[in-house]
Amino acid sequence: MEKKIFEQMVKDAAASGNFLQKLLPFLKEHRKEKLPVIWIETNDSGDNNISLMNSTFPYLGQIFDDLIDLLYSNTMMAAQGKDAVFILEQAAKKYSGRYTLVVEGAVPVRDNGLYNIIYKTEQGDVTALEAVRELGKTAKYVVAAGTCASFGGPSAARPNITGSMSVQAVLPREVIRVSGCPINPDWLVGTLAHLLLYGRPELDDQGRPVLFYGFTIHRHCQRRSYFDTGNLADSLGDIRCMFSQGCMGPVTFADCPYRQWVDHINWPVKASTPCIGCTNPDFPDGSTPFFTPMPQKGPNELGPQTGGKNNE
Amino acid sequence: MNKKHLIFSPVTRLSGLLSVDVFLEKGVVREAKASSTFFRGFEWIMKGRQITDAVYLTQRICGICSLAHGAVSSYLVDKIYDNEISENAQYLRNIMFAADFLQNHIRHFYIFSIPDYVRMPSHPPFHGQNKADLRLDEKQNRSIAENYFEAVKASQRCHEILALFGGKAPHQHSFLFGGVTAAPTADKINRALALLSSIKEFIHSRMLPDTEIIAHAYNDYFTIGKTPPRLLSFGLFRFGPKNERVLWESGVLVNGRIKPLQPELISEEVTSSWFKQVETGEPIPDPRKPGGYSWVKTAKYDGEFVEVGPLARMLINGKYHGSTSTMDRIIARSLETALIADLMEEWLLRLKPGPPPFNHKKTPVRNSAVSITDAMRGALLHRAILTGEQISKYDVITPTVWNFSPKDQLGKHGPVENALINTEIPRNVPAETVLGRIIRSFDPCLSCATHVVTVT
Repeated sequence: MEKKIFEQMVKDAAASGNFLQKLLPFLKEHRKEKLPVIWIETNDSGDNNISLMNSTFPYLGQIFDDLIDLLYSNTMMAAQGKDAVFILEQAAKKYSGRYTLVVEGAVPVRDNGLYNIIYKTEQGDVTALEAVRELGKTAKYVVAAGTCASFGGPSAARPNITGSMSVQAVLPREVIRVSGCPINPDWLVGTLAHLLLYGRPELDDQGRPVLFYGFTIHRHCQRRSYFDTGNLADSLGDIRCMFSQGCMGPVTFADCPYRQWVDHINWPVKASTPCIGCTNPDFPDGSTPFFTPMPQKGPNELGPQTGGKNNE
Repeated sequence: MNKKHLIFSPVTRLSGLLSVDVFLEKGVVREAKASSTFFRGFEWIMKGRQITDAVYLTQRICGICSLAHGAVSSYLVDKIYDNEISENAQYLRNIMFAADFLQNHIRHFYIFSIPDYVRMPSHPPFHGQNKADLRLDEKQNRSIAENYFEAVKASQRCHEILALFGGKAPHQHSFLFGGVTAAPTADKINRALALLSSIKEFIHSRMLPDTEIIAHAYNDYFTIGKTPPRLLSFGLFRFGPKNERVLWESGVLVNGRIKPLQPELISEEVTSSWFKQVETGEPIPDPRKPGGYSWVKTAKYDGEFVEVGPLARMLINGKYHGSTSTMDRIIARSLETALIADLMEEWLLRLKPGPPPFNHKKTPVRNSAVSITDAMRGALLHRAILTGEQISKYDVITPTVWNFSPKDQLGKHGPVENALINTEIPRNVPAETVLGRIIRSFDPCLSCATHVVTVT
């Protein structure tokens, strides 16, 4: 398959919704092996792994069968305790230079990262900071899943007492940022499919795959005609443009209006609420107060978000 | 002095990060310490923000029970603005809440619990499964492993109902203060009913029979992992224009007697938690505190530890009659799943097609409020103090805090630690296998245990 055709399929997902179903026969035929994945959870709500389970075509079972070998996952692996640690160490060795490291969550750095311990051993505690730095060294790709991992997100929201940072801020190498609070499962599954088939996807200046984050919400919003004619909603629940209700669509890069959520059925503006800019580097501090129109959100009195900086 | 120290870490297949230290003597657990090993500090994050930001922001506390936080903070904001919730909004809110309950319970039973009892396929992420005490026959193993992947689809459909009205899931948008911003139109009601019909089919033809198979094959777990019979519920499914009624009653069950809930009897302490007590103001996070071993604080009711969750709700409401063991917790959760699916159908049929049932008042009438509900894992409380419309203080007490309370100042243990202590580990079975089953029956979610505490 041509890369161009693949990308077109992904972009057209709004029409069919099920582009990856079409892709699966191709994957089965041409693939030599699945993508080995080590998934580490750090400072996060666990919403991204729940959202992954909302993937349809491929459903989770198909993802395990055809797309990835999920070698380590705190949420889903059958093994536990020392067995799980052993599996992680073996996987990192066996697939050194070949595995994809998925990090779900921000990385606290204050007090040497003691605010987030991935697991404890007789030799000592392993913090998220150590795990991400170690596993990041020998990964082929590093993928930040969700806005906390991508930019700090809610975990790094002011006053950020744990010193939570993005994965990129603690790892001096390229990190593919699949932001969103949570990720739309298509964004992550599509990114992993791209890595398996073609390697690194084209990234925007924030390190996000262009094919999902290439345009603003505003550009593709179904309610754009209301905005263009100044027909703004009087309140939440109104059928008109949500700009007056705090919508961040004009400055938020994501394909929600096309792709939509949970089997491509709905998205926040369609539910007559504002987009709150959850894929943005300054989410949530740059979006609050959520229901105040953008021009009046004003300079952020809460101070700048500290977790989302690019790597020094 | 022949105690063997075992660090059970990571306890996988749950939400968040958990490690448990146990000390064994002659194959019996003598001491247990459950450590929640990550901290986010959400209550600090809330300070200085608009109170109306609470619904979306607090949902970010938890990925698997996000709407529980959205619901309880909506009730809280409703109180502050004295909102009137229309009947249609009441039904719609509870339909959405029920949808999130169903996905939680189905995912917990299959994705988190089933690999404790059933031989899974050998490919990742099931590789390295310990098979020392798997008791089902080949046919049962195969059928339940297949149902694991059906459960993935059924729980996706639960979230599809939630997103149908709520815009997305997790972290839905339309269930807000003042009602629901989405219109309950005929097509949406019809679609939700069709999705629900397939979910109910799954619950009755797969989940309940699978629960029975496991309860039968592992019936020793009716005596393993028992907690003292002290349980608490804040009640579930709020109705009424002021969210004043609960469909499933709140209450406290102590030694077989149910007493009315008195929220003023709730107390908290930080003896074994990683917080430094200061003279005035809030305790300060201190990951190096001597004697500390968890980010969870110690929560008590009337000076005693209490267990929360589906078992507590079902016992207090007379919908389940059993004990407080590992298997009782699992069965109560499965039975509750079926009951909630029935309720949801009833509410969908009562919903009247119409415009968005949403009406939020603009002027606050109070500067503080407390709201409570049961969430999937048990009792959940939010409390706010405002300056104008800005949050000056926001507290959250989550279900996990009740169940995973670390030791108090007298050295007494909370429910989960209590359930582990005195457990006998059979020969030839790894301790983790037995302990993991007990721990997971509480449906642990450490993502929720993320906040700074107020000790009064």
